[in-house]
Amino acid sequence: MAEENGTLMRVSDLKKNYGEVHAVDEISFTVPRASVFTILGPNGAGKTTTLEILEGIREPDSGEIEVFGVRLRRVDRATKERMGVLLQDGNFEPYLRVKEVVQLFAAFFPKALPIDDVLSRVALKDKANAMIKTLSGGQKQRLAVGVALVNDPELIFLDEPTTGLDPQARRNMWTIVTDLKGQGKTIILTTHYMEEAEALSDYVCIMDYGVIIAEGSPRQLAAGLGQETIIEFSAPALQEEHVNQLEGYGVAARTDGEIVTLETEDLVRTMEELLSWSREQKVPLKNMAVRQPNLEDVFLSLTGRRLRE
Amino acid sequence: MTGILLVARTHLFTAFRERITLFWVLIFPIFIFTILALIFGRIGQEGEINFSVGLVNFDTEATAAWEFGTMIEELFEELGAPQIEGKEPLFTLSQPEGGEDPEAFVAREQEALRRGQRAAVIVIPEGFSRRIEQRFAPAVVSTDSPSSTSEALTIHYSEGNPSSEIATGIIEQILAGVDREILKRTGRFDEEAAVPTETVWVGEASEIRYVDFLLPGIILMAFFTSCLFGIPATILFSRDQKVLRRYWVTPLSVPRYLAGLSIGHIVVGLIQCVLLILLGKYGFGASVSFVALQPVAFLLLAQITFMAFGFLIASIAKTANSGMAIANVINMPMMFLSGLFFPVAGLPLFLKAIVYANPVSYLAEGVRTSLGIEAGIFSTPLVVGIPLAWIALSIGVASRKLRWDVER
Repeated sequence: MAEENGTLMRVSDLKKNYGEVHAVDEISFTVPRASVFTILGPNGAGKTTTLEILEGIREPDSGEIEVFGVRLRRVDRATKERMGVLLQDGNFEPYLRVKEVVQLFAAFFPKALPIDDVLSRVALKDKANAMIKTLSGGQKQRLAVGVALVNDPELIFLDEPTTGLDPQARRNMWTIVTDLKGQGKTIILTTHYMEEAEALSDYVCIMDYGVIIAEGSPRQLAAGLGQETIIEFSAPALQEEHVNQLEGYGVAARTDGEIVTLETEDLVRTMEELLSWSREQKVPLKNMAVRQPNLEDVFLSLTGRRLRE
Repeated sequence: MTGILLVARTHLFTAFRERITLFWVLIFPIFIFTILALIFGRIGQEGEINFSVGLVNFDTEATAAWEFGTMIEELFEELGAPQIEGKEPLFTLSQPEGGEDPEAFVAREQEALRRGQRAAVIVIPEGFSRRIEQRFAPAVVSTDSPSSTSEALTIHYSEGNPSSEIATGIIEQILAGVDREILKRTGRFDEEAAVPTETVWVGEASEIRYVDFLLPGIILMAFFTSCLFGIPATILFSRDQKVLRRYWVTPLSVPRYLAGLSIGHIVVGLIQCVLLILLGKYGFGASVSFVALQPVAFLLLAQITFMAFGFLIASIAKTANSGMAIANVINMPMMFLSGLFFPVAGLPLFLKAIVYANPVSYLAEGVRTSLGIEAGIFSTPLVVGIPLAWIALSIGVASRKLRWDVER
C-alpha cells in the first residue's frame, strides 16, 4: 500500500499476552506525520510493550503494523534503518568512550550523521573521550538520545525519556523533542507525566490495562469533559457525609486522600455554595485552586484513579 | 561490514580495559606459565643438572709410585669442565686457591655443605696412594664428620638434602669405577667372578624441553579460560544489563553481532598467543616455532571450539552469575584432564574417561603433534573430528536456547 499523505504509521488490532496478562489488548491507532504522538498511561498500562513491538524487539501475538507505507507483521531491517529508538531502560558498554559508542551505532546504519554533530546536538562534545561508566544519569540519557538520532531518523521512539531526570534535564529533553518536531520528524513518546504529554503532544492516546481508553489532541480530550471548571482544595478529616453533601450541590466531586476535586459548569454558584458549606460544617478549605481541566482530570474521570497511583 | 568490525573493536576494548577481564585474558596465563616454567623448567634440560662439589687433595707426596690422589683430582676436574659447549658440566668444582691452607679450606667447604651451597665435599687424605698400593683401600663415606685422619678417601655429604644425596651417589659410582679399573690393572680383579653388568644405550635423550611442551598448553589454556568465562560474561552481562537491547532496535542482527564478537575474540586469542610465544622464547628459551600452516590451523580450531563452548554455557545459564558458576565448575577438570600441563598417560581409568571426552585433550595433542613435540595417542580424524563434533553440538544447542533479550 502506498504511504498515505499525512499518516506515517497505522496500527491495527495489536495484541500481546504475557501468560494470563493481556499486556496489549487489540489496540489500533494512527500516527500522523511530523507530529508528537504520545501514549499516556500509568505504569503497567502496556505503553512500553506497545512501543517494543513497534520498535521491532518484540513480536505481537496478532495484529498488523503499517509503517512508511509498508504492512508488516514484525518490524524489519529496512524499517529500522529509518527509525531511531530511545529505550526506557537500555545501557551502554561501560568500558567504551562516548565517541566510540556513537561510532559503533553509526556503523549499524547505511547512512549516519557525523559523530561531532550528534555529540553537539546532545551537548556531549566535551565528554567525547569520557568512559561511559563515568557519566551521570542525565549525560547517559543524552547520549542515548544522541544514539537514537545517529541515523537522522524519520520516526523517533522515546520511551519514558524523562523518567528519573531532574527538572533541568527534563526541560532540556523537552527542548530536544520540540526541536525534532520542528525539523519535521515524527515522534512517538510514552510518558506517565501528564504535564509532559500536555506540553509536547499533538495527539495523545491514553492507555490503561492494555487498552486505549481515549485519544485526541490534549485540548480535545480536556474539552471532552464539557464546559466544566475544576475547583480543587484540601480538607483534612473529611467525612463521607461531607462528600455526599458536596455531590448534592450538583457537581462531580471526587476525593483523593485529602484532596477534593469538584467539576462545575457554574463556577460562581458552586463557589458560593461551597463557602457557606465550609462555614456550616466548619471544614476549612485549604490550598483552594480554580483551573481548567487537564489530562490528569481526563484520566481521573475515565478511570477514577490518578495517573501516578 | 563496518558494523561487524566495530562490534569486534568493542569486544576488544572491553577485554583490555576492564581489569578483571584483563586478568583472565593475559595476566593469569602469563602467571601460570611463569610459575610452571620456573618450577619444572629444568626437567629435560640436558646437561643442566649440576652439583657444586668441594675437593681437596692432601695426597701430594712424591714418594708413591702411583699418584692415585692426583689421578682422582684430575678425573673430577675433567668432569667439572663443560662436556658440550654451551651446556653446564655435571660438577662445578671448588678447590683451594694457590697458597690457601687446605685444612681451612675443608672447614669452609663443610660449612658451605651445611648451608646447602655444596652438594658434597671430597677429601683425598695424605698417604692415600701409598695405602692403595699396599691394600687397595675402598672409599669411605662419612656424614659431616671432621676431616678424617685415616688414609681413606672421604666424601662429606648432608643428610636430608636430596641434591647432596644424589651427588654422593654419583661420586661413589665414579669412585667404584676407578677402584675396579685399578683392581683390573693390578690383576686383582676376577672378571669371571664379578656380577656381569652392561649399560645399553637406548637412544638420545629427548630434545624436547619442558618449556616447549608447556608453551602450547599455556596458549590453549589462555584461549580456553578467556572463552569459557569471556564469551558467556560478554553475552549474559550485556543482555541482563540491557546493553544488547539497544543493538536490536537498530538494523544490527544477531548473526552480525555474533560475527563481530567472534572476530573480536579471535583477535584477543591472537594477542594472547603472540605475547605468550614472546615470553616463552625470550623469557624461558622456548625454541618451538608456531609459524606453519598446521599449528596455526589447530590453534584456530581450538579458539573456535572454545568459543562455541562459551556460547553453549551462555545458552544453558539463566543469568550471568550462573554462567560464571558453570564455567568455574567445568574449567578445572577440563583444563587439568587434557594434557595441557603434563602428559596424561599414567592417569587411572575413570579420569582417562574424562580425558577422552574432553575436546581440550584432542586440541592439545593436535597442536603439539603439529609442532613435532608429541607423537600423540589419538588418530588424526579424532583430533580434528572430536572438536568439530563439540562445535556442532554447542552451536546447535546455543542456536535453539540462547536468549538475546531479557524476559518479561
